Amino acid sequence: MFDFIAYPLANLMLLLYNFLGHQTVAALAVLTTLIRLLILPLTLGQQRSARRMQELQPQIEKLQKKYGKDKERLAQEQMKLWKEAGINPMGGCLPLLIQLPIMIGLYQAIMYCVPTTPLQLFQFSQHIYKWLPGVVGLVPLQSTFLGMDLGQPPNIAHWWSYALPLLVFATTWLQQKLLSPPAPSGDQSQTAMMSQQMQIMMPLMFGFIALQYATGLSIYFIISNLIGIAQFYLIQQNRSDKTGKDKKVRRPTRR
Amino acid sequence: MNQSRTWRRPIALAMLAAVILSVSGCTGGVRASSWTGLTVVDERLYAADLEQVVALNAADGEPRWAFPEDPKKDGRGAFYVTPAVGEGHVIVASYVPGGGFFSQPRNIVWALDVETGNELWHFEDAAGQYVEGGAISGGLFVIGNSDGNIYALDVESGEPRWIFKTGHRVWATPLIVSDIVYIGSMDRYLYALDLSTGEVRWKFHAEGAFAATPALRDDTLYIGAFDDRLYAIDAHTGTERWHFKGENWFWGSPVIYDDTVYATDVSGNVYAVDAESGEQIWHHDLGAPVRAGPALAEDGSKLFVGSQNGTLYALNTADGLVLWLGESEGQVLSTPVVDGSVVYEMLIYGPHRIRALYVDNGREVWVHPPVVEEQK
Repeated sequence: MFDFIAYPLANLMLLLYNFLGHQTVAALAVLTTLIRLLILPLTLGQQRSARRMQELQPQIEKLQKKYGKDKERLAQEQMKLWKEAGINPMGGCLPLLIQLPIMIGLYQAIMYCVPTTPLQLFQFSQHIYKWLPGVVGLVPLQSTFLGMDLGQPPNIAHWWSYALPLLVFATTWLQQKLLSPPAPSGDQSQTAMMSQQMQIMMPLMFGFIALQYATGLSIYFIISNLIGIAQFYLIQQNRSDKTGKDKKVRRPTRR
Repeated sequence: MNQSRTWRRPIALAMLAAVILSVSGCTGGVRASSWTGLTVVDERLYAADLEQVVALNAADGEPRWAFPEDPKKDGRGAFYVTPAVGEGHVIVASYVPGGGFFSQPRNIVWALDVETGNELWHFEDAAGQYVEGGAISGGLFVIGNSDGNIYALDVESGEPRWIFKTGHRVWATPLIVSDIVYIGSMDRYLYALDLSTGEVRWKFHAEGAFAATPALRDDTLYIGAFDDRLYAIDAHTGTERWHFKGENWFWGSPVIYDDTVYATDVSGNVYAVDAESGEQIWHHDLGAPVRAGPALAEDGSKLFVGSQNGTLYALNTADGLVLWLGESEGQVLSTPVVDGSVVYEMLIYGPHRIRALYVDNGREVWVHPPVVEEQK
């Protein structure tokens, strides 16, 4: 479905695997990082949109208090507020949608490089870029990490592999917690409650996927989430530094 | 509008999860997708037919028995691997997907009575999938597994006699000659193991994975690997005699007739190579991906190669020219089998699972399941 993305990514993973001493997880980590860098403008746009939303929260709350019963008017006023602030309410959604094919392509690439079924491997055999240095004979990549098979789901024989779904759950929850704008305080509306439920449901769903699918996918989820979390803190740090610098610049002027 | 704001991230993430699930088959865990295989012994054809193992009359395709009799009721998984037949047994393996939240997929070896198809024993200790079939010799059934192990099971009881651990998945059928098991692994080694103990006699390292079964001629093994090379290896010492470079992986097993080795690579190239020197005699590009190795007519005059485009090619062994084509709906990814005047092919993704064609002209002898049953 997304093979036009998966094949180049799988070949890039082969190249990285060759350069990184035949370490599958290292190649996966670097590839995930590269992908996150590639989609950084999209992610930043998404975070910027979320931040602006957060900044408008007090005004939104005021509007809710004022027009709480008049849903239509409330919607109009909110739209007006966003328009004035230059926010597209769907601006945070679009980047996620654009990321979807890349994420799925990356998942498929992992499954081509550490295949669990022969048909996957046979399909990929027709799409290896033989002109890349050192890729001939690499596939399938070494599939064992900490005793686990990266192409197999967690299993009892490797009981510690069940830590991966837990880590997927924890990192997804944390990333989502950080990136989601908080609901207005005291907001008991159905929307707010559903939003809170989804903050648990989504990590649970990804944890469930991690439980059922290859551990290689779990490692990708964890690395990707950790990068997302680190990225959030770096941006926050950067914002704090900028705010601090502005203050420092302003102070002498005041004197 | 407020709703759209609070919902958009969860909805987008839910879409991500949904798409991942959908592209992954949404079957829970690892998908079971492979080709199936057949064996012809004593005028009877045994095939892993996905839902069942079937025994048919090789002459007319008439069913003799099926295991399980009712696949929908029994649910013993999907049968992929080529049946091994010998010592009164038909031994196959199946993959049973996990059915629940914490349910693990199961991988089971089944030993069946060759005459009745009744179950004699089963073994389900392996952690990975079985991709290719095993081999029976000296009271043992030897098979490789995706968990990286090679299992030697007692043919009569199914008890493991020895287990040999390799460094990667084992997707190759072993070749057993007297007291030695020759088997390749994805860890890039071809192993020669003692049949009775599983101890390593020698191992040969290539630059790519081994997924084929070696062919033996005199004291030389011929086998291709995923490093695009076809190797000739001393069967006693495991030292390389020569290698021939193809254009892509050698996945199928080569065949030998007189002094020529015939092999295919996955890009669809068929090679005839001098068995002594490794020099190319001829080469033919079929223009379609080929997974399996070729099969030889009993008189050595023709070579049969199945392809992903569903065509079975009959080539002249003298010069590689195509003599006839047997086109079909589906894909031919397992090695055809020749028995007397008939060549049998196994299909996936087509209306028929098995086709029997005349070696001489490719005319159809019978198909399984027959058209009448297909229309029901």
